[in-house]
Amino acid sequence: MYNDLDPLLHSQLRLAIISMLVASEKVEFTHIQSETKAAAGNISIQIKKLEEAGYIKVLKSYKNNYPNTMLSITDKGVKAFESYVNSLKKYLNPKK
Amino acid sequence: MEKNDLTPEESFDVINKAIANFKINYKESSKVFLLWGWMLTLASVSNFILLKFVHSMEPWVLKGYVILGSWALFILIGFIIMYFMVRRMNRTKKVHSHIDKFIDYLWWVTAPSFIIATFICIKLGIAPPPLMLLVAGIATTTTGLVIKFRPLTIGGMSFFVFSVAATFVTNEYMALVVSAALICGYLIPGYLLKTAKE
Repeated sequence: MYNDLDPLLHSQLRLAIISMLVASEKVEFTHIQSETKAAAGNISIQIKKLEEAGYIKVLKSYKNNYPNTMLSITDKGVKAFESYVNSLKKYLNPKK
Repeated sequence: MEKNDLTPEESFDVINKAIANFKINYKESSKVFLLWGWMLTLASVSNFILLKFVHSMEPWVLKGYVILGSWALFILIGFIIMYFMVRRMNRTKKVHSHIDKFIDYLWWVTAPSFIIATFICIKLGIAPPPLMLLVAGIATTTTGLVIKFRPLTIGGMSFFVFSVAATFVTNEYMALVVSAALICGYLIPGYLLKTAKE
């Protein structure tokens, strides 16, 4: 129905992830998990899709001797998010 | 949480919720203000004691070096404590916001500004406190405005008042004006931030 909306962002979980990343510089994987209440495996799949599209960057490191995954949005991701929001606005206010 | 046939309203709702739930807690920052508030207040009080009561320490140049040395000592202790404090804070931090980054940059630029201002004042033969308080006021007020914490904004603005007030008193009482400024600008907002709900 909403064909011109970016299919990568037009998904509840991916949109929630990208929205969190737009609002911050870096976010830990576990924080996304606690905020979205989604399963870790599902989040990992969505993150991989966003990473492959070049929308986000995944930084793997160690924190307190445990593996730690940090996510951040790329310039391409910000542009995609902006164009997605603009498309949404057109649907809501078609006259503008 | 997975739905791929969102309506525009639902999409906006997802975005709004994700951003609205993204409240950043700045209570941890209070530790940094309290650390520097105490360190610099102790430095300025010791400065006052040295100026007021250590008459025997002459010539003036020697006294000047002792005062500068006492400030340097407290600042060095402050930096050592802050290094370990920030390291521990980063271990528990899950979100690094744009505001965090901005505040970090602001204070990393402010720190050398204090050193440069001190150098300029010594070179020009004027007392550093008014200029130092002005620099502290700019950074503290900006931090208060950015994190939307009014006591810190007001505390930061009080530095401007103390900066002007410091020009009306003698060198020894200038140290007391600095102490008062640090209590109003760092310590009171620091304790209020520590006990703040969010």
